[in-house]
Amino acid sequence: MLLLREVKLVAKDHSLLLTLLIAPLLYAFFYGSIYSYKTEEEVPIAVVDEDHTGLSRLMIRQIDNTQMVHVAAVTNLAAAKESMLQGKVQGFLYIREGMEKKVLSLQQTNMVLAVNAARFLPSSDVMGTITQVGLTVGAGVRLQYLQKKGMNTEASLQEVMPVKPDFRPLFNNRTDYGTFLLPGLLAMILQQTLLLGLAGGVAAERQRGSLFYEEKNLSSALWGKGLFYLILFSCYAFFFLTVNFGVLDLQLLGNPWELGVATALFLLSLIPMGIFIGLLFRSQLLCTQLMAFSTYPIFLITGYTWPIQQLPDALKVVSGILPITPFLSLYQGIVQQGAHISDRMPELFHLCALWLFYTFICLMKMRKWA
Amino acid sequence: MIKALLQITLREWKRILTRPEHNLVLLVIPPLLFFFYAFIYNKQQAEDLPVAIWDEDHSPVSRQITFLLEQTASIHITEQVSSQAELEQRMQEQKIIGAIHFPKGMEKDIKSRHPVSVTIYTNAASLVPGKLIYKDASTVIITAGSGVNLQKFMKTGMPQEKAMALIMPVSLTVYPLYNPTYNYQHYLVPGLITVALQMMIIMVAVLIINQEWKESTMEALRVTARNSAGLIITGKTIAHLTTSWVNFVLMTGVIFPIFSLSHPGTLWQLFLLFNLLALACIGIGIMASVIASDVMLALDAGLFYTSPAFVFSGFTFPRWGMPWYDQYYASLMPYTPFLDGFFKLYFMELPLRYAMPEITRLLLFIGFTFFIAVFFLQIRLNKSVRYAITP
Repeated sequence: MLLLREVKLVAKDHSLLLTLLIAPLLYAFFYGSIYSYKTEEEVPIAVVDEDHTGLSRLMIRQIDNTQMVHVAAVTNLAAAKESMLQGKVQGFLYIREGMEKKVLSLQQTNMVLAVNAARFLPSSDVMGTITQVGLTVGAGVRLQYLQKKGMNTEASLQEVMPVKPDFRPLFNNRTDYGTFLLPGLLAMILQQTLLLGLAGGVAAERQRGSLFYEEKNLSSALWGKGLFYLILFSCYAFFFLTVNFGVLDLQLLGNPWELGVATALFLLSLIPMGIFIGLLFRSQLLCTQLMAFSTYPIFLITGYTWPIQQLPDALKVVSGILPITPFLSLYQGIVQQGAHISDRMPELFHLCALWLFYTFICLMKMRKWA
Repeated sequence: MIKALLQITLREWKRILTRPEHNLVLLVIPPLLFFFYAFIYNKQQAEDLPVAIWDEDHSPVSRQITFLLEQTASIHITEQVSSQAELEQRMQEQKIIGAIHFPKGMEKDIKSRHPVSVTIYTNAASLVPGKLIYKDASTVIITAGSGVNLQKFMKTGMPQEKAMALIMPVSLTVYPLYNPTYNYQHYLVPGLITVALQMMIIMVAVLIINQEWKESTMEALRVTARNSAGLIITGKTIAHLTTSWVNFVLMTGVIFPIFSLSHPGTLWQLFLLFNLLALACIGIGIMASVIASDVMLALDAGLFYTSPAFVFSGFTFPRWGMPWYDQYYASLMPYTPFLDGFFKLYFMELPLRYAMPEITRLLLFIGFTFFIAVFFLQIRLNKSVRYAITP
């Protein structure tokens, strides 16, 4: 009965219809599309070449040939600076006069790279790429020196770089932003649309004075109403993991059944949480307004983008009472790292404890109003 | 006219102060949210991340590199592992974020002039810590390799200067400008605060007109404004703009100084840019409020429009990395030009002229939205007058 009542209630309310039926799908494709290229490429920089030699031109060509950096202009120092200040390029490389001459006469030379570090991602990518090109050119110079000294190619290749780093990023081989962020973003969309819709709906019921649990067994009332959301958002979760993951070229490395268990627990803990939040408000309008401001703060303290260990202690506590914190850990482990649920048992117990906690406080709140 | 305008402004201030959907959003949430954001990144940089060592060499060289790795800011050696499977398992259990592998016979190979690779494993599913570990670990390993080369060249009798030149013929001096220490608090908090501000202004502005119709108070307002939509919108805009100044003071006078985020000399430029953002947001909100008479629907539309502003603006992921249609959508939000201007005026501390393209775009937002809002409201007011005369 309550399930049918909920269907009718949502169908009649334009706002709930929009939040619960349209927003999750729209947001998933909308936000997902931003990162569909997964990584940034061709970050524009300017180059000031005062050397005008074969070596400097080779260096510029090598930089431009990288996937990450695009040499937007080879110009003079003043124009390069101005271009960065206007935001047209993210930095500039300054190659001094006499670079090739110095290198050929076995003297160290220096290049200067200025990057706009006000934006993190482009500046760190430019720095990494140009450092790598500089190291490669250096290795080439050593190779030529050793060969001139009479060493054969094989021996000189071994001498060029005796100890070199070999980078192996695990679970996201290209270390790209999209592969990292998109799964978490989809989980966040699932949570926020559920909370916005459910809490908003409950607040609207309270506003109208027709609460769903009047003269009923409270627990049955809670899960009778919650069943609609459990079914609906389980369908969304399945849709995200199949259609959205397919469209966005994301992989599920772990066991789908284990992910199903974790997702079900997540939704089960969100439902009493959402009803509890809704009961705190007398107006649907205010509830929706305030819930809208919770999205970014919640996402930032879940440990997904910023390590949870680096949070102040008070925020660790806040993070710990959010079901999405243990869920994201389980979800990220299963989806992106192929982990088993048994690898993250503390998070599983944490999520179960939050389910019980929110059920308890929700029932207490319902009892108060009943 | 001035008297009517003043009356409308005063009336709107009263509404802001007495209505929870106005004052909670505009005056109560901002201090809580802004402190919250600043507090998240109070540590400013991620440090001492757990890293494992997989040492198959057990040599003085591997121990020396391990020691150097421990000296870096991001790496904290927490355990030893003995295989790739074990280190992957430890990552899956979230015990470590990275690992460094020294191959068997490393020292011997170095001495016998065989190149060796020291492998850096990172959990790239956790992108931020993974990149930090890679950056520090690769610097240590490249430095160690350069040291080996230096010794070799000097053993042949080469002078140190020449040997150094061979090791790094082209050295690179990097100047990371405007945030040289890559401080997360300095980078993220001003952006998060300003995006919250635009959201707050829009989320209340979408209620400015339609609530009057809903609560049947528009007729009284219309009479006060002598049936002028322009006067109603101007009076209400003044009230909301001046209320937004409270949050500007909170941001630049309280949060920025407390968390050392102030950029001296940028205050007035910022104030100008902030006013343009606030006016653009009020304009968009009022336009939605005039067009959508259903209050909740207008709120949902406002929410849908404003909430993606942070990611679409290119703050964390550059706009040129997005598909063209997302770049187009980003250009439809006032936060995008505001952020570009904010970078120039606040982070880069440039003169106002550098932000003129962004200022022009914000002015276009303001002109367009207010024109539409006044136009449609006037039509509606005129209709209501006709209806009142001939019911």
